Amino acid sequence: MSFEVFRDVAKPILAGFGITARRLAKPKATVQYPEERREQFPRTRWRHVLTRYDSGLERCIGCSLCAGACPARCIYVEAAENTDQERYSPGERYAVRYEINMLRCIFCGYCQEACPTGAIVLRKDFELANYEREDFIYTKEMLLEARRPEPVAH
Amino acid sequence: MAAAVQTETVAITINDIELHVPKGELIVESVKRLGLEIPIFCYHPRMKPVGMCRMCLVEVGFKQPDGSVRKMPKPQAGCTLPASEGMVVYTDTEMVHRDRKGVLEFLLINHPLDCPICDRGGECPLQNNTLAYGPSTSRFLEVKRHLPKAYPLSEYVTLDLERCIQCGRCVRFTEEISGDSQLAFRFRGASMQPSTFQLTDFESRFSGNVIEICPVGALTSSKYRFRARPWDLETRPGLCTLTPCGTNVFYDYRSGRLVRINGRTNEDVNEEWTSDTTKFGHDALYNNPNRIQVPHVREGEAFRAVEWSEAYAAVLGACEGKRTAVLAGTMLSNEDYYAWQALARTALATNHLDLRWQKTLLPASQMLKARTGLPGVQYGIADLENALAILVFGTNLAADQPMSYLRTRKAWFRNGARVVVAHHEASEAESFAHVVLRYRPGTAAELAAGLANLLAPELADATRIATPEWTEAQTGVPADRLREAAEALRGTEFAAITTHGLFDEANGVTAYQTLALLTSHAGGKFNGLVNHANEQGGREMGFAPDLGPGGEAVTAGMNTAEILQAAAKGEIDTLILVGCDPIRDFPDTALATQALENVANLVLVDSAQTEACAYASAILPMALPAERDGTYTSSERRVQRMERILKAPGESKAPWQIAMELGLRAGSSAPYFHARDVMDAIAEQVPAYAGARYQDIPETGVRLANPEGLTRSNDAVVQALQSLLGGR
Ligand code: SF4
Ligand code: SF4
Ligand code: SF4
Ligand code: SF4
Ligand code: FES
Repeated sequence: MSFEVFRDVAKPILAGFGITARRLAKPKATVQYPEERREQFPRTRWRHVLTRYDSGLERCIGCSLCAGACPARCIYVEAAENTDQERYSPGERYAVRYEINMLRCIFCGYCQEACPTGAIVLRKDFELANYEREDFIYTKEMLLEARRPEPVAH
Repeated sequence: MAAAVQTETVAITINDIELHVPKGELIVESVKRLGLEIPIFCYHPRMKPVGMCRMCLVEVGFKQPDGSVRKMPKPQAGCTLPASEGMVVYTDTEMVHRDRKGVLEFLLINHPLDCPICDRGGECPLQNNTLAYGPSTSRFLEVKRHLPKAYPLSEYVTLDLERCIQCGRCVRFTEEISGDSQLAFRFRGASMQPSTFQLTDFESRFSGNVIEICPVGALTSSKYRFRARPWDLETRPGLCTLTPCGTNVFYDYRSGRLVRINGRTNEDVNEEWTSDTTKFGHDALYNNPNRIQVPHVREGEAFRAVEWSEAYAAVLGACEGKRTAVLAGTMLSNEDYYAWQALARTALATNHLDLRWQKTLLPASQMLKARTGLPGVQYGIADLENALAILVFGTNLAADQPMSYLRTRKAWFRNGARVVVAHHEASEAESFAHVVLRYRPGTAAELAAGLANLLAPELADATRIATPEWTEAQTGVPADRLREAAEALRGTEFAAITTHGLFDEANGVTAYQTLALLTSHAGGKFNGLVNHANEQGGREMGFAPDLGPGGEAVTAGMNTAEILQAAAKGEIDTLILVGCDPIRDFPDTALATQALENVANLVLVDSAQTEACAYASAILPMALPAERDGTYTSSERRVQRMERILKAPGESKAPWQIAMELGLRAGSSAPYFHARDVMDAIAEQVPAYAGARYQDIPETGVRLANPEGLTRSNDAVVQALQSLLGGR
């Protein structure tokens, strides 16, 4: 083995192993997803949620401002009028249809920014894979937060 | 009449730029000449300025002899300030900006600012002005006033009192433009609110306009409420096909569905106004849940969806060698009428075709042109504005011809024209009439004779007996009133307006033709207008039993009533209905039903299911006017073009296309690929449209001129009059 071979081949390989050996002593950066999950940054923006007030009424008033702000034009809102018999949100107006095309969404969060009532928010659920293209159209039912259980009276 | 008007001009200075403007022009208009804009709320170019909102404040001064400018100590309202010599205006100074901020701050104190759910949000002058000139924050921490929200003023208009800025536009519209004076301000000061007197329903034929001119979301459309935001909408220019006026509109649609109609400016037709029929009527038509999607043929009791080719074969099979008739609705385009009459007269070998749905259907030989040589339409809508006197005869003008009504009223309101209204019942036009001639029903002809006696010396002999006193006895119109009316009209080159609706009155045809003749002899202009959307165009295309394209005489076929009578007796084998339903459209419902029951083959070309479907043997889906290209001729003979706006549902086709494809199969039609090809054929066949090309029709339309050198003949009408008057 000539000197050149040692210098150009074996030495870098050994140096590389050296790095591995040194790293072994440090804490691990990878996690065993999906069994293990890492905590996300506070401002991570993933899947949208339509939130409710504490009273259980929907925050969304069907104003379409999110649709107007959306650069990907992937929100569709259709509004209707609340009645005293059928009330979904406070005030006069609520969204009967609210759809987001997740394939087109770029998770910019402008919708959240535009919303005057804080109804649409981007939360941390990032596992959005699916098999059918149609399944990426998220409807109001899918987006709407579940009603919180009624508080127990003391 | 439009003599070159000499206007005096004055030199004014706006933002240090000198310019000459007509004396007395409002400053708010003058600044537009420089491409500048003063923010406004209450000012509207078509109404008198009132200076109610103070949004338009500007700084004003006057040039002094020594060249310096002496400013007025306080800002002035630009919308009430007429330009005068040496005036110096500033629209962009510190003071003006501070004032605008102040005005907006005051306006917003009690404003609910519920923009997210406000139907005006996104196209709201208050939003725009606040964004451009207003303060960015509010200093008003106190509780805002609360008032009823979503108060229904009428079936069409919803009032949100919290949002009203008391600009008075709506009130002034009903006073100055529509003339029904339905709205007024109740209470004063901070509690001032627009409403109807006694909180009755807002009943007006033009109520939809206040929605568009309200500078905030106080007046909104009950039909459009919450259906879309402006940025959801696509919008394209179109025409109204429900009224005969040819009103220009915008179709606003969302995801392919029509959501609202707005007025589109055309100074020659509707200025910017719409009637409620126009504004709210199209929704039911286009969003009809029973639209027909594909062709159907009957199989026993049920219908079977079929391909077009099969449907065509079925239709042609039902027509071949049979006694066939074609009836059409009044909403088709010129191209449709032309193609269908061509098909009927060649492949179907019939002259039994008609589009009229009145009771009285005149044969060509009895029509005005044949009997007097006079054209039926001598004046355009816009010309009415300059008429010194207008005679409205035998029609409820606001209902029949809404845009002619608005112009007539404008002529009175703006120019002091004297309006004479003659009708057998009350109508809106009476509110501004100089003289009202309310005749007993059925005596229109006697009244016309009485007018002729006073106004047309050439007819005096024929109407000798129709003295004012005789007329009073016959019609119940006081003799003095009649004389007064004649004085108002005499020597004024007045416009006489009536409609074909007059035919249905007793002796209505004689009344109509006498009116035309007397108007012509008295130096006036006569307008006998059709009452349905494109009836005018359909007739000119030759969709008539005894007139071919351009009015050439053809062997007379049967008219609507005769066709239905024949069908009821089983003398028609195949009846084709294009966009009409006799049960709905014909005055005699029993006859219409009987006709449809007894005809062997009923072919329906229509956009939605109607009662007639129950009797049909084949149904072909038809695209509605806004779903295809076409031209339309309004009652004032203005040809306008509407290009496709919406997608036709299912496999619907334009009626001209259906006629052409049937013709191709029968070997009689040339292939047309576009409405413009049909227009080319029309230009060849119909003299009045000679040289017309589909693409070249200007945006405002073209009004067809009447041929020169028509000779007037009295004989036929005088004869009819004499037999009428002599018979008394
Ligand atoms: S995150 Fe951005 S792209 Fe996605 S829906 Fe909201 S606005 Fe549209
Ligand atoms: S989510 Fe917010 S912005 Fe979007 S429609 Fe609802 S209220 Fe309006
Ligand atoms: S009227 Fe204009 S400013 Fe007022 S709530 Fe409606 S959109 Fe907002
Ligand atoms: S309702 Fe609209 S148009 Fe009428 S006064 Fe109020 S703001 Fe003006
Ligand atoms: S626009 Fe001049 S005062 Fe309202």
